[in-house]
Amino acid sequence: MSPYWGATFFSFLPLFFQRMFLLLTGRLALSDLASDEIQVLTLGLISIGAALIGTVLVLRKMTMLANALSHTILIGIVVAYLLMGGLFGVGIHFRTLFFAALLCGILTSLLTQLFNHLLKLQEDASIGLVFTSLFALGIVLATLFTRNAHIGLEVVMGNVDGLHFDDLKIALFVAGSNLCLILLFYKEWKLLCFDQGLAASFGVRPSLFGYLLMLLASMSAISAFRAVGVLLFLAFLVGLPLIGRLLCNSMGKMLAWAATFGFVISLLSVALSRHFLTAYQMPLSTAGLATCLIGVAFLVIASLRGLTFTKNSQILKG
Amino acid sequence: MLQFFLDPVLRAPTLGTMLMGLASGMIGCLVFLRRRSLLGEALSHAAYPGVVISVAIASFLFPFSEKGALLSILIGALIASLLGLFAIDLLEKRLNVKSDAALCFVLSTFFGVGVLIASRLQMTHPLWFQQIQVFLFGQAATMVDGDIGIYGLLACLVIAILTAFLPKLKILYFDPDFAKTVGMKTQRLDALIYVLLVLAIVVGMRSVGVVLMSAMLIAPPAAARQWTNRFSTFFLLSAFFALVSGFLGNVLSLYVPNWSGAPHLSLPTGPMIVLCAVTLCLLSLLLSPKTGLVTRLVRIGRFRFRRRQENLLKALYKKESYSKSWWLMKRLEMKGWAKQGALSEVGIREAEKLIRLHRLWEVYLVHMGQGAERVHANAEEMEHILTPEMEKELQALLDHPQVDPHKQPIPGASSGVSPEASMRENL
Repeated sequence: MSPYWGATFFSFLPLFFQRMFLLLTGRLALSDLASDEIQVLTLGLISIGAALIGTVLVLRKMTMLANALSHTILIGIVVAYLLMGGLFGVGIHFRTLFFAALLCGILTSLLTQLFNHLLKLQEDASIGLVFTSLFALGIVLATLFTRNAHIGLEVVMGNVDGLHFDDLKIALFVAGSNLCLILLFYKEWKLLCFDQGLAASFGVRPSLFGYLLMLLASMSAISAFRAVGVLLFLAFLVGLPLIGRLLCNSMGKMLAWAATFGFVISLLSVALSRHFLTAYQMPLSTAGLATCLIGVAFLVIASLRGLTFTKNSQILKG
Repeated sequence: MLQFFLDPVLRAPTLGTMLMGLASGMIGCLVFLRRRSLLGEALSHAAYPGVVISVAIASFLFPFSEKGALLSILIGALIASLLGLFAIDLLEKRLNVKSDAALCFVLSTFFGVGVLIASRLQMTHPLWFQQIQVFLFGQAATMVDGDIGIYGLLACLVIAILTAFLPKLKILYFDPDFAKTVGMKTQRLDALIYVLLVLAIVVGMRSVGVVLMSAMLIAPPAAARQWTNRFSTFFLLSAFFALVSGFLGNVLSLYVPNWSGAPHLSLPTGPMIVLCAVTLCLLSLLLSPKTGLVTRLVRIGRFRFRRRQENLLKALYKKESYSKSWWLMKRLEMKGWAKQGALSEVGIREAEKLIRLHRLWEVYLVHMGQGAERVHANAEEMEHILTPEMEKELQALLDHPQVDPHKQPIPGASSGVSPEASMRENL
């Protein structure tokens, strides 16, 4: 029996913080974590990881590549599971994750390069063709091998309620590695985002870091896809950094804002989803809620900024 | 084959997928030329919440009328997609967000709204929920003749408007500045194109689905572009490729489950149509007569082969040793350049021509200021490339040289034009 049963939005939050405090002081075992808590923590970690990687991607103007990756991970997962057995089982093994991420990252960048340079197709069309065709192939293969005509649905929409403790471990691992690599090479990323030429002259190789970024992004996408699906992950990846961008003008602050908003929105979306279930008997998609919250947060902050802008200009005029 | 057009059950899906292809293939050309292929991706995903919301409203207003639901879906998708377009414009222009990030943001948040409302409908209206899911990956098989009327009308509308505006579009796309100076309303024309794009997406959703719709806006134009440089042919070819892939995709989505041993499995049509279109595109990229990869490789291979023949010919003429394979020798004999290991009359003339070109080019390079010791390697390449016309011009430019920079005679150099003739030319 979940301790959150019958909780509304307002009773959810105190209960959550109380239980987290118990967990940290060791009075609550890890195995006693309720499903809602696993959801909050997994979603939170996924969104923090996505916010960190996304900030670099947005600043480097590489989000379309991220969009392509979020589609092509499907073929990576399908092939990885065909080779390593078991399709869409309970959890994802670390080695499968690595293999699939590596595979889809390499496949996407290699095929895009191939279309662009060897077959002489313009760049936007190359990206578009590669990810749609790989995604189509992934859907057909997944449908045929699982004998399930609705597999495409789960892939696109995700299912937070099906999250497992293993998913939390994977999310922790991915978010941790994202955080470490972003902080470790913070200077290098900053250089690459704002001045490629200067970065190259300091001996920072753009291609090497480009591949690292691809690998991290595809790993994050794969760890997220069971929870939020391939498309809503993109909202985390792009939306959170854009919110951060509205609030500040420095990369460090942007990373911090994006990650903070990511965690808060994950917490709120699980709480809201529980609230709707309790108050109106209405089960809603938590991932969908999180995405809408990102959109709303962006709109609110953008309009507030717009207001201050007009105020400032009026003061200047006056 | 013919049964797909005549059978009352198969007829509607076949025609539906083909009409969809026609509209998206044609409008895709314009997006392709603008290099904004990924706009289609964002707008098609943005249509999804429109579909869901309109189904939610329709299920509330007229719970038993299928027709009403279909119409409301189309209108809802149209409105949502246009809203998406507006949002992208707002983000780019007012909030200074980079184009790629704006596209991704609108794509994912709009889709998120759709997912949220769909999850609400899943419990309250499970049947309607299934209807919505059809629009994710497309399911042409459930189309009926009544649907075709509406989709056909929309597709024809797109095609008619495009055809009517084709001359104007041609000017706008090849020379936007000129279009402005002759007083064309370029902004209004651009807006029209975007509306048509949204219409084509709405038509395509039913058979390809919102997730993969963008491929149908990219693959057929990309394939068509490889075969032609003409604006109107480009449109027709692209429409043709899209028609074919629509038809094949629909047929394959019926047959593939059978072949894979699961006859009752209903495969979504979208992925199959997209895979067909991409295959056609890939074939075009490989095989097209001007830019195709295979064509280019064949051209390179033929040049290399000719160069080897000509190098052998030169070696025979100069009586140098050259690794001669049996069939290369045979090839020289076939061309009449050699007979029983010795050069024929024609062969000697050919070899002299090669050496003449080689030495002429060396003279030319020295004339252009290069050191005489460095010109050999370049001339070794150019001797296979220079045409008779270029040779004549070189002769005239260099005033019919008799020796090359290494003091070797240029064979047959004076045979071209007599000194008097060249003097007359100079005067």
